[in-house]
Amino acid sequence: METSGLLNWIIFIPMIGAIVVLFAPAKQARSITLATTFLVFLASCLLFGPFLNGSYHEGGYGENMQFESKVEWIHVGGFNINWHVGLDGISFPLIILTTLVTFLAAWASWNFEEWKVNRGPKGYFSLFLLLETGVLGTFAALDFFLFYIFWEVMLLPMYFLIGVWGGPRKEYAAIKFFLYTLAGSVLMLVALLAMYFTSADVLGGAGTFSLIEYATDGRLQSVFNDPNKTFLWEGWKFGHVMFIFLFIGFMIKVPVFPFHTWLPDAHVEAPTPISMILAGILLKLGAYGFFRVCYPIFPEAARDLAYFLAVLGVINILYGAFCCLAQTDFKRLVAYSSISHMGYVVLGCAVMTDVGFQGAMFQVLAHGISSPMCFFLVGVIYDRAHHRNINDFGGLWLAMPRYGSMATLGFFASLGLPSLCGFIGEVWVLLGTFNAGSVHAEFTWAKPMAVLAAFGVILTAAYILWMIQRVYLGKLREKYADFPDATARETAILFPMAVLAIFMGILPKYTFDLMNGTIDDVLATMTASLSSVSSFAFGG
Amino acid sequence: MLASTTTTNPIWMPGGDELAYLGPLWALVATVVAVLLGALAVGRNWRVSAGIATFGGLLTAWLAYRGFSQAGFTNWAGMTPSAPAAPMLVADQFSYCFIFLISVFMVLVTGMWWLGQNAGLPEHLTRKQDSTEFFVLFVGSAFGMSLMVSTTNLLMIILAVEMASLPSYGITAFRKKHNLAAEASLKYVLFGAITSAIMIYGASLLYGQYHTLDLAAIGRQIAAETGQSGPTVLMGVSLVAFMSGIAFKVSAVPFHFWCPDVFEGASIEITTWLSVASKAAGLGLMLRVIAVLTCNLSSPDTLEYVSLAIAVMAAITCTWGNISAFRQTNLKRLLAFSSIAHAGYMLMAVAIIWHPEFGQTDMPAHPSFSALVFYITVYLMMNLGAFGVIALVYWSTGKETIDAFNGLARRSLPLTIAMVVFLFSLVGLPPMGGFFAKWWLLYALWEGNVVWLILVAVFNTLISLYYYARIARAMIFTDDGQPTVHAPISGQAAVTVCAILVLLTGTLSAGWLKDFSDNRSRGLYAIVRPVNQEPTANDQLDNDGSEEKIAEFSPDGGSEFE
Repeated sequence: METSGLLNWIIFIPMIGAIVVLFAPAKQARSITLATTFLVFLASCLLFGPFLNGSYHEGGYGENMQFESKVEWIHVGGFNINWHVGLDGISFPLIILTTLVTFLAAWASWNFEEWKVNRGPKGYFSLFLLLETGVLGTFAALDFFLFYIFWEVMLLPMYFLIGVWGGPRKEYAAIKFFLYTLAGSVLMLVALLAMYFTSADVLGGAGTFSLIEYATDGRLQSVFNDPNKTFLWEGWKFGHVMFIFLFIGFMIKVPVFPFHTWLPDAHVEAPTPISMILAGILLKLGAYGFFRVCYPIFPEAARDLAYFLAVLGVINILYGAFCCLAQTDFKRLVAYSSISHMGYVVLGCAVMTDVGFQGAMFQVLAHGISSPMCFFLVGVIYDRAHHRNINDFGGLWLAMPRYGSMATLGFFASLGLPSLCGFIGEVWVLLGTFNAGSVHAEFTWAKPMAVLAAFGVILTAAYILWMIQRVYLGKLREKYADFPDATARETAILFPMAVLAIFMGILPKYTFDLMNGTIDDVLATMTASLSSVSSFAFGG
Repeated sequence: MLASTTTTNPIWMPGGDELAYLGPLWALVATVVAVLLGALAVGRNWRVSAGIATFGGLLTAWLAYRGFSQAGFTNWAGMTPSAPAAPMLVADQFSYCFIFLISVFMVLVTGMWWLGQNAGLPEHLTRKQDSTEFFVLFVGSAFGMSLMVSTTNLLMIILAVEMASLPSYGITAFRKKHNLAAEASLKYVLFGAITSAIMIYGASLLYGQYHTLDLAAIGRQIAAETGQSGPTVLMGVSLVAFMSGIAFKVSAVPFHFWCPDVFEGASIEITTWLSVASKAAGLGLMLRVIAVLTCNLSSPDTLEYVSLAIAVMAAITCTWGNISAFRQTNLKRLLAFSSIAHAGYMLMAVAIIWHPEFGQTDMPAHPSFSALVFYITVYLMMNLGAFGVIALVYWSTGKETIDAFNGLARRSLPLTIAMVVFLFSLVGLPPMGGFFAKWWLLYALWEGNVVWLILVAVFNTLISLYYYARIARAMIFTDDGQPTVHAPISGQAAVTVCAILVLLTGTLSAGWLKDFSDNRSRGLYAIVRPVNQEPTANDQLDNDGSEEKIAEFSPDGGSEFE
């Protein structure tokens, strides 16, 4: 297929751009970066046509990959490592989201000179582009080994972006981010080894790293979900251990309580564009990992551990929201609200119903739009006021009418106001959770869990409305009276996100259409594996 | 061929082809002599000495490389009259590979030394006048290390270890007016002498029990003995004592105490040399010794003891090295602990010699030998690069502490980028070669069924990140306004090439290097024989039809059992 090359180009254009930036004059760095990210965004938009025309609702999971390309990479010593990329309904929207948010973040870096005069722009922009390659590669990879490589490639640029161009406690935040994420990825590495060698034993000869084969091959599935196969310790089921290792790896990235503490630090210290990327894209990688790796491959473990995962999700929702109520730092508040919102993703996954999965996936995308917007809104006033103390603001809407309207829209989208994007995801997740008992009879805890999670909606409304009241409403303070309104550039960055927030809120169908086919496939695969395992375990 | 001459002749005379197998070793010895004669001929000239050493190193590397092209090439030479089947020296792909790496590394370190001579250091630090002595000792230690990886004979092992150690003591203290260097060398000598004594004691116990110097024969007798009555205490004591001398070269905990002091005291070229070559030779020797001793063992209990003991030592070495590195401020000392940790990772490969496919004649590449070759190759490049950057900064600033790196991103961007690649390769992050080195190691560990060791390795990767990141932090995050580093272009080019190679082994060349390592770990002496069988002429590995490259055993090859 001739479009397969396009995906490879999309992954590598940012890397080429990074090298160009390194050798170009420092003054051109930001223009080159903006042009590169825009080019990548345009290229990813070109994927829309073929993707929609593709037969993405025929065949099972993995059979309708678009833009697939597979090249042998390392085939020695009994190894089968491939360059294998492709897109389906789970990864395609995330690729679009990535290219869009990265482009907007590159644009948000336009006033780079103002916020860090002494640090070279070359390093910043080339790392920025390298990061994009890492993210796009991770979303597109269908080979687990490749996925892992790209997953790690993201670490270094992010570490330096926070550590060099961040706020006062940047070094602490950067190394904390690095250590937390690496802790997750070494667990993933163990799972990678274990899954590969299990596949080599089962399939005979060289094993496979294909994420699709792991999920769809009946022989592999019966072993992965075999309750009698143990790992490491007597009585530790193989599937459970693998699922937990992978889940911890991904939940650190999401982040899920109790591994969330790196996130507020990283966000507060990171510069605005990096916060946008961190919240808008990097957190989504964790959620993507659930959809691509954890759930399709280890459905039995997912079902057995569903209760704990749902509890974690609810804790995330409520705990994150309570933390928001206590914050006085504007950016920290938005960071904790990310934790709270990502809790819905975990809950939606945990209940393993189609509505729950759709809601979780929708929430991923909605949060991918609303959180960069919120972070950018915070960044705009930080550029003017040079502090982020919520209690010190007041009446900003009066001084900055255009910005104020955008801000209200953005925070209401985050709040989950009906007709904006945040609403759909949350409602779908809550509906899916409420109804989960009727799909899986053993999920008797689902209804109380949904009720608890629904309180999150109230808390969210509380902290956002209270924040809006303190920052944007009320009497305009003297010192902020001469703040200029949002510039044309700032408005232009906010505009696409605002449009998308409304579009996804009013016409969620088009977003659902992109991903529902694949989500049904994933669920069908999981159901097939579960039923075969049940007969394997009890019916024989 | 060989065997017939040795049995009929009471005095062993090597044949022509036998001498040819030892070509790389001859080349190294010739280099030592040439350095001495060169000084006689043209007087003391450091350029001449270094040039001869470089040429000798390249010649050795070429001779060893030529051996690679002979597929399935396995030879052993120097059979003693009393036990004709016992070779004094072994020449196979694995030993050639290590000689190749050691001689290439020797050339690179010589280049580094050359740069150091031009760096404008005071005479008492460079000692240009004494370069002849320096290169005699330096090449001599390379010769000793090359011997270490090409023998399975008790006596030769002792000789090789001493041949590698004694010159190392000398070159450590080469900056003779430097207090730290003298202290380091003294510690090195004392520690080395004691462990050598223990090793020789162990060797004499082994000889006393089994009446042979050939480790393969000892291994067969141990197998027969343990098969009947299980392992004995004497056997354990003698083996542990013997291994301690090798563990000293590897700087495995608890034989590591010399390492940080020597690395700090020695000049930076020597630190680089010892950090890679000495460890590579020690690990190659240890892997071979353990493999040869245990390849005939059939009792799983004994195997498990041996494996567990080494695994525990590896785990402790690795963890200890990593944790001790946390608080170091001297970069050479920090990398000394890092090298202890890496020795620990590599020792893990030794812990899994009891691979299930062990002893099969059609055995594919041995995973732990292959993992070690890959790891050493990558480690050579990344450690050379890291020390190279430290050396360039040291020559420019005169400091070896982390402070000297503050703000290096502004002071020299190329050095910073290269150093970041080396540091995170040492951590083991993709897309750097260090990741693949760890990956194949973990693969070997999985094959050897020691999953707990995998967890130890990945946990150590995690904690090692912190201290490597400290250097990155100093370079990039902190800046105290030190002046620009004026590194010579040749030095910058060298570290850049190293960095590119490290990146290549982590991306495009990873498969090629794995293939290379696999080929180097086939057809190893003594471990490719079917379990519990007497060696005969026919069951030698003949993988790729290299018929006359295999020496024959005499009919009374098993005479050492009497």
